[in-house]
Amino acid sequence: MTVVNEKKTTARAAPSSETSVLGWMRKNLFGSAFNSILTVVTLYVIYLTVKGLWSWGIADAVWIADTRRQCFGISIDGACWAGVIAWLDNIFYGRYPREELWRINLGLVLLIIWMVPLWLPRVKAKIFIGLSTVFLYPFLAGYLFAGGDKDIFMQVMVSAAILCLIGNTLHSIISVMTGNSLAETLIRVLNVKNASEKSQRNILIAILGVGFALVYVWQMGWYVESVSWTKWGGLFLTMVIAGIGIASALPGGIFLALGRRSNLPVIRIISTAFIELFRSVPLITVLFMATTMFPLFMPEGFILNKLTQVIIAVCLFNACYMAETVRAGLQAIPKGQFEGAHTIGLGYWGTMGFIVMPQALKHMIPNIVGIFIGLLKDTTLVSIIGLFDILSMLRAISKDTPWLGLHKEPLLFGAMLFFLLCFVMSKYSRHMEAKLSTTHKN
Amino acid sequence: MMKLTTFLTSVAAVATLAVAATPVTAETTLEIVKKRGHVRCQVGPPSAGYYNLDAKGEWYGLDVATCQAVASAIFGDPKKLEIQSISSQMRFTSLANGESDLLSRTATWTMSRDTQLGLDFLQPNFYDGQGFTVHKDSGITSAYQLKGAKVCVTSGTTTELNLTDFSRANDLNISAVTFEDYNVRDETYLNGGCDAVTGDKSSMAGNMAAFPVPADHMILPETLSKEPLAPAVRHGDSQWRDIVSWTVYAMINAEELGITSKNVDDLRAKSDNVSIRRMLGVEGNLHEGLGLNKDWAYSIIKHVGNYGENYEAYMGSGEQGIGIPRKGSANALWTDGGLMYSPPMR
Repeated sequence: MTVVNEKKTTARAAPSSETSVLGWMRKNLFGSAFNSILTVVTLYVIYLTVKGLWSWGIADAVWIADTRRQCFGISIDGACWAGVIAWLDNIFYGRYPREELWRINLGLVLLIIWMVPLWLPRVKAKIFIGLSTVFLYPFLAGYLFAGGDKDIFMQVMVSAAILCLIGNTLHSIISVMTGNSLAETLIRVLNVKNASEKSQRNILIAILGVGFALVYVWQMGWYVESVSWTKWGGLFLTMVIAGIGIASALPGGIFLALGRRSNLPVIRIISTAFIELFRSVPLITVLFMATTMFPLFMPEGFILNKLTQVIIAVCLFNACYMAETVRAGLQAIPKGQFEGAHTIGLGYWGTMGFIVMPQALKHMIPNIVGIFIGLLKDTTLVSIIGLFDILSMLRAISKDTPWLGLHKEPLLFGAMLFFLLCFVMSKYSRHMEAKLSTTHKN
Repeated sequence: MMKLTTFLTSVAAVATLAVAATPVTAETTLEIVKKRGHVRCQVGPPSAGYYNLDAKGEWYGLDVATCQAVASAIFGDPKKLEIQSISSQMRFTSLANGESDLLSRTATWTMSRDTQLGLDFLQPNFYDGQGFTVHKDSGITSAYQLKGAKVCVTSGTTTELNLTDFSRANDLNISAVTFEDYNVRDETYLNGGCDAVTGDKSSMAGNMAAFPVPADHMILPETLSKEPLAPAVRHGDSQWRDIVSWTVYAMINAEELGITSKNVDDLRAKSDNVSIRRMLGVEGNLHEGLGLNKDWAYSIIKHVGNYGENYEAYMGSGEQGIGIPRKGSANALWTDGGLMYSPPMR
């Protein structure tokens, strides 16, 4: 006799050990006697730490006071955040004149405006926007931060940067709204769509020329007061050094890596020697060399400003590290890719630019971002040669008479700031990886 | 052969360029400074009392005052000044290669530094000395009672060496606990990590003022070392050396003569005292030897003040002062039994 159950068996709920919190805890935290002890001890340590930090840093902390003595008067065991708050301007902007701080803020806002299109959908020519950020924005920002009289080169670059910023912004707005590029829209608006391609291009160039002339004339009257680099400091200085280092490390590294793999002996030897020299010396030594030895080699009276020397040193140093990372990435590309590229008739730059580099860079993202994060933290070494970066500023609080001896709170604040910056970079790199790895999904 | 000739020609060209780029006549420091329009004065990383930043990012302190005084003497304006903060590893190099015009930082004047480093130390503006801080309730009242004690000290300084010498000479068997950072040193001492702290008395007094309960601690009377802290200039430019030393002397002399930043205008207009009239440039021609304006000393006192005013402001009981008493110390005027003494200005 056969029994056929035609009804579907109702699913039973998963056992409580799999679904409930208690079950999970029993399985993972109290699985054995040893695990239970570990759990209890760990929980206790976490409790002590959090409790200590909470009561010192928040519950008993003093937020408003004029001196550290007052802090002690209000609460002797708590943190004295009032000192950090009083020094916030110093920490963020260094000794930059207080009435000129808007220039740094404006520079940051412009950078954001410049870079936002890179993340927007439907915007074309992102590579151009990216490149202009690296090559034109520094001139505009540089003038905004340093001020003073512009020489003719600076005038041209500042005008180009402003024009580019306006163009970028218009282009992105139009792109997001209509999906067309700025050039296409201009052609349509001017109603010259039926003209030949050549005359269309001429019209665009003419518009560009007129725009440039207008901007150039406007910027001739634009003057901001000169602020000596010696007044730059704080997080601002850290970001300037790290920003230029990051922007130049990748292109520098790519060229050095290609040079090292080149078939031309002179280029190969020079690149290899350069990389090995800078890589085998600690950064602090490079910085010392740049600031103390370099002036000795120069004719008397020739003093390059110290910030420039430091930035050049940081750029060279990190380009060398980057070069080795890039070289590792290049070596991971199978030979077939090179051969395939040759087969379809691409030359050296074509092969590298269109076939090899895009694949290699994608693989290298974690390492590249690792170097960037390292670079950001390494910039704190410049405090040793007397630049007031964020770390020097944080340490200086404990020497200011009203806040004498206040050193834990500023350093903790600095640690949080650095964590935030590095964590954002790291998160963004994961995002990039995920975005670019679509073709390689397993 | 052809290639070799080309190579040699280019080497020669480069060499010529290099020679041509080197200026033939050396300028004096005063000329360089005047041409540049400001004085480059070197201090160290912030140090309480001597040179520190306030919350607005401005420099202040006893050594900063010396810098401002030099700028006032030359330009009549204390703001024509660039303060360079340079770590102690690089302080002398940076003076030697011309980056700084003078060093006004807590550098101890020692014979080897004065004779071997190509620099000249001038009139000290602060006499410091090494001492000990202890908990008051420890019952210790003299450094000789520190037998077998653990003493906190910052590493790599003469302070550490002096401590070892003192311990050996008196058979005290002191064990040194070293730290890189003086904040950590003090923290350890406060939490009972060592029985005493050693360091320069001035800076310890400053740090002690910032302890949670300053009255629980005291500085022992013994002084282990001599630390005359003096400004320094490059060796070989006597005129510049004179300008900086007489700037410091002028501040000391002004205090002795009772000239302050408040009464200097009055005294210049009305005083009958020949010394005052001579110093403020009303009569005589003291300024000629320095190559400065007639009112160089007047500007110093008008803009920066005399030595006593600056001591009170930054080291003493002033609002930005760290509270080191001056009376009876080596930093009092010679008329009060101290070491602050200026040659006559006549």
